[in-house]
Amino acid sequence: MELAQAVAPPTFSPPRLDGAPARAVQPAVRAEALTKTFAPRTAVRDMVRFTRRAPAVAVVDRVTLDVFPGEVFGLLGPNGAGKTTIFKMLSTMIAPDAGTASVAGFDILTEAAAVRGALASVPADERSLNWRLSARQNLLLFAALQRVARAETEERVTWALRTVALADTATKRVGEFSSGMRQRLLIARALLTRPKILLLDEPTRTLDPLSARELRQFLREELVGRYACTILLATHNTDEAFGFCDRVAVLHKGRVLATGAAQLLTTRYGEARYRLVVRDAAHPAFAQLERRGLMQRAGAVERTGDGWSALECTIPGDPSRSAEVLRLLVEAGAEVARLERVELSLADLITRIIGADAGVPRDA
Amino acid sequence: MRECLALVRASWQTESSYRLNMALSLVSLALVVVPLYFVSNALQPLMASSIAQQSREYFAFTLIGALTFALVSASISALPSALGAAIGRGTLEAFLATPTHPAVLFTGLSAYTVLWALVRGSVLLLAGVVLGVHVAWGNALTGALIVGLLLIAYGAVGLVGSSLLLCFRTTGPLLSGALTVSAFLGGVYYPTHVIPSWLQEISKVLPLTYGLRALRQSALRGDDFAAVSGDVAILSLQTALLLLIGTVSIAAALRHARRTGTLSHY
Repeated sequence: MELAQAVAPPTFSPPRLDGAPARAVQPAVRAEALTKTFAPRTAVRDMVRFTRRAPAVAVVDRVTLDVFPGEVFGLLGPNGAGKTTIFKMLSTMIAPDAGTASVAGFDILTEAAAVRGALASVPADERSLNWRLSARQNLLLFAALQRVARAETEERVTWALRTVALADTATKRVGEFSSGMRQRLLIARALLTRPKILLLDEPTRTLDPLSARELRQFLREELVGRYACTILLATHNTDEAFGFCDRVAVLHKGRVLATGAAQLLTTRYGEARYRLVVRDAAHPAFAQLERRGLMQRAGAVERTGDGWSALECTIPGDPSRSAEVLRLLVEAGAEVARLERVELSLADLITRIIGADAGVPRDA
Repeated sequence: MRECLALVRASWQTESSYRLNMALSLVSLALVVVPLYFVSNALQPLMASSIAQQSREYFAFTLIGALTFALVSASISALPSALGAAIGRGTLEAFLATPTHPAVLFTGLSAYTVLWALVRGSVLLLAGVVLGVHVAWGNALTGALIVGLLLIAYGAVGLVGSSLLLCFRTTGPLLSGALTVSAFLGGVYYPTHVIPSWLQEISKVLPLTYGLRALRQSALRGDDFAAVSGDVAILSLQTALLLLIGTVSIAAALRHARRTGTLSHY
């Protein structure tokens, strides 16, 4: 049976990946063409031989971002993509080679002290605590350095410890803490100043799933909801990217490849993938649909063991097109037991965006 | 000031968590002062004439020398040690990410070591007094001024060492070299006029030479401020110059570390 000619060829118009507040709002964090290049270390052998130095590597390459007040913004990308370097430039720990950035309206180069007062950073490295001191002693030290008012210090430290569920172990040495407890203490330390902007570098990396969920809930409800705190986080966590971040930027080799809500990026780059369970994976209807560009088989056919086969395919265009494909397959005599959408993983999304990169950032 | 005190308190809490180490630090003073007492008394007839301008007793002379040298050793190494520990612990970047000015941070980080050295020095001095050293307590202010200048001067050398540490993760031979030269040519155990004349030229550029001479004359001989003002003036100039060099170098080192992204590196 000939497939119905009525089905229009697929058209794909990328949706606006907005999700960002109106542009009239002053960004809490703005980076414009931010660039950082590091010279590779020269080996002693090369220095002795006067070998020409390897060219410098751009770790962050003309990154332009706007993050708005009260927004949770995620930085995604493989290791070495430049996420941590961006954080360090925003927190004034690394000076950019080119470009500008402002945090809470303060320039990171000319108003560094004000920037440091406006933001708090939670590093991925839990070593940045004094392990010989107790949790409370660590927080009291940083409360003084962060210039929390003397009268409020005790109350603020107690609140921060209670917030991250460390009140019962406040007098215990940090060296005796578990990895997750140290991570929570780092977050408590960042909360001391009730910062306007919070930088979180893989904040749930060492937390168990329940604690991670509680932390995200706290960040969303308490910091964003109550204090209108802006959160930037670097993450490899699917739940955070899709469920927690309002928008994300996908970075690769220091460049922003795409920006927008993670779900919308998935639609934009996802080429909706489906799993089909059919009696005959070699049925000619599949080839016909492929020739017409209505679907594309992907990956190997998997035998399910009960005489059926499972195969994955992509069906470009609107999700309603999958119903059309199913109808055409059934009309062509293919026996279909199931057609279900396969959710795109974070790794798949990043891989696809990197693969689709033509060198031009795709901004919302 | 509050930030400094918080850092001092944190250092105290950290150090006092190593209780045995702290106890040994005080007990070891006895190992310094007792042999010094007997050896100095044995050498008194030999040294009496050469030290006459600064002290009548060789034990008092060496006690002030050893005590002051311990103070400048602590001062020169306080910040590099504290920075090295902060780099190792990973706290340096966290400290610098706070709104506290780096100058306040560095003062606070090194203050505990210097304060502890002052406590040890005071114990040493009291032990000397018990063993018969006569101190002109009326000149205490002059003595405090001289010790303060010496601490700042050697602390400034420590700033240069800290700059090297920030840039290269080592102070190189700077600190040990400065201390060795100061120990041998700064008049710690013998007056500088007894060393060969060509080496005296080196001793003339050492702050310890002027500081120790003025301190002994003031504290042991009871000379008034006018008698030591010349040495104090030279020491002040050296201190100002070293402080300028130290400040410029640490500022440059911080800029370098921020440019190269090495603040958080081991």
